[in-house]
Amino acid sequence: MRMRKYLALTRAGIIESLQFRLSFVVMVIGNLLYLIVVYFLWKAIYASAGTDVVSGMTFSDTLIYLVLATALYNFMEMYAVWEIGRNIQTGKIVLDLLKPMEYRKLLFWSYSGTFVMQFLFTFLPTFIVVAIVTHGAIPMGINLLFFGLSVIIAVSINYSIDYIVGTICLYTESIWGINIMKQVIVLLLSGATVPIAFFPEPLKTIVHYLPFQSIYNAPLSLLLDADPQPQKVLTTLGIQLFWCVSMMILSKAFWKASLRQITVNGG
Amino acid sequence: MAIIDIKNVTKEFKVLNRREGLKGSLKDMFSRNYKTVRAVDNISMSIEQGEIVGYLGPNGAGKSTTIKMMTGVLEPTSGEILVNGCVPYKNRTRNAQNIGVVFGQRSQLWWALPLIESFKLLKDIYQISDSDYESMMSLYQSLVDIEPLLHKPVRQMSLGQRTLSDILAAFLHDPKIVFLDEPTIGLDVSMKAKIRTLIHALNKEKKTTVILTTHDMGDVDALCRRIVIIDHGKMLYDNDIEHLKSFFGSYRTLKIRVDGELEKQTQAIQNQFPDFSVSADEEEEWISVLVDEEKQKVLDVLSQLQKTHRVKDMQLEEISTEEVIKKIYEEGVQ
Repeated sequence: MRMRKYLALTRAGIIESLQFRLSFVVMVIGNLLYLIVVYFLWKAIYASAGTDVVSGMTFSDTLIYLVLATALYNFMEMYAVWEIGRNIQTGKIVLDLLKPMEYRKLLFWSYSGTFVMQFLFTFLPTFIVVAIVTHGAIPMGINLLFFGLSVIIAVSINYSIDYIVGTICLYTESIWGINIMKQVIVLLLSGATVPIAFFPEPLKTIVHYLPFQSIYNAPLSLLLDADPQPQKVLTTLGIQLFWCVSMMILSKAFWKASLRQITVNGG
Repeated sequence: MAIIDIKNVTKEFKVLNRREGLKGSLKDMFSRNYKTVRAVDNISMSIEQGEIVGYLGPNGAGKSTTIKMMTGVLEPTSGEILVNGCVPYKNRTRNAQNIGVVFGQRSQLWWALPLIESFKLLKDIYQISDSDYESMMSLYQSLVDIEPLLHKPVRQMSLGQRTLSDILAAFLHDPKIVFLDEPTIGLDVSMKAKIRTLIHALNKEKKTTVILTTHDMGDVDALCRRIVIIDHGKMLYDNDIEHLKSFFGSYRTLKIRVDGELEKQTQAIQNQFPDFSVSADEEEEWISVLVDEEKQKVLDVLSQLQKTHRVKDMQLEEISTEEVIKKIYEEGVQ
């Protein structure tokens, strides 16, 4: 019964996104173009490197990783910063705050319908195509289960980070710059644009201690690991869980402390 | 016990002193030069279950700020607010279950979805039981012709239909209090009447307390027995509408357009009727005469004017909120 109000939001999100059929087509095409760019870029990088293996990854390893990272990005990116910022600017946030539900949850579950749609229409097809084209480069075993768990945690970490950045909008009342900065930082440090294996050693160490790699690198490394060692799986999931909980606490506390700042436009 | 109890509430905002021009804007980037603006200044009132209270005041008077404090979105700088027995900003989520809101310029409905989907969502969000939901819907059906609206996406609705839907949405979970912030803004006369009837019926049927802010004296006349007026954050008036009417009910604004130079004519008319205040609207070239009918009938004034001036056009208006406030300032009521 308690879940019901959340699932109602998921359902509405699905109906809502089905109203905009064309945007799906546009997204799939945009996605495809990006992947073509990635393909040629890395082909050139490998050609100029002169060896088949760079930083311990072959060309097809890298490509599979990046294609899946892109698919994961399309599915996980929820534009929460954008949404919070816009709600603050237009003053619509007042109405959202007056629902008998935490704003953090309201926003998340309002978006969850799109999650489901993105998963079915972008991530799953990409995943299947990659699996077929590469003839089993993606291992099909227990690793899928670990991957699933890991993605769920990653979604939560990603949302908390978005929420923290969105909260900053309460102070700045502008979104664009902050959002772009967040996107670049997250995509780079999480290993979504360049696999972390390619990072120089010092940066690798720093990234290791940051929450971002738990978003893309962790689930993808679990997915592509054909022979998962229990210890490695547990460490990866454990670190993710740690970040999940701490970012959640941080984002909640920051939001609560910041809400006093609110002046609400048009007051 | 009163459902809303406000004691000596004050709300201050800090705003940056903005300077002019490019140079000023650049300096502002590093400025810590804040000034404090007092949006609400020491307001007290107490509202009983089932009342419809008209909350009036000019733009920027502090109406919306008060409402946001009552709903728990804003925290008062000082003073005490109790809504339904609890402090709203400390229990915002719980308080939300007992209140409904309509902000005339914004919609809480799901833009892309048909109205019925928004209702179903609200049903789950507010955890309304099936039987309560059904009885509310049948009440709505008896009050307004809701059927054609239910399957229409909100984004395709006219402003009037959307406002109507928003009001229905606000009452859906049978809240104890509903805040209506300028619900009739921008609507035509027939839609205004429809919405007033609806609000009146819902208040009567469900004993819902309604706090209504508006600039339209028509809304107030049709709905409220009690009105509260604030300006510059200060409370000017809190009493029966009858009481206020006894002061202002006999006032009418007569607007005329005459031949000749506006300023000269205004002066001439003022001299002709020294008892009434005469003012000129230079943009639209109206001359308005605020006539107290207890002293002289409007038609008398008009016929007198027609003897001395060539009246090209005329309009008769009820006294507006702004004029009421001006009058209260000048003469005082309480």
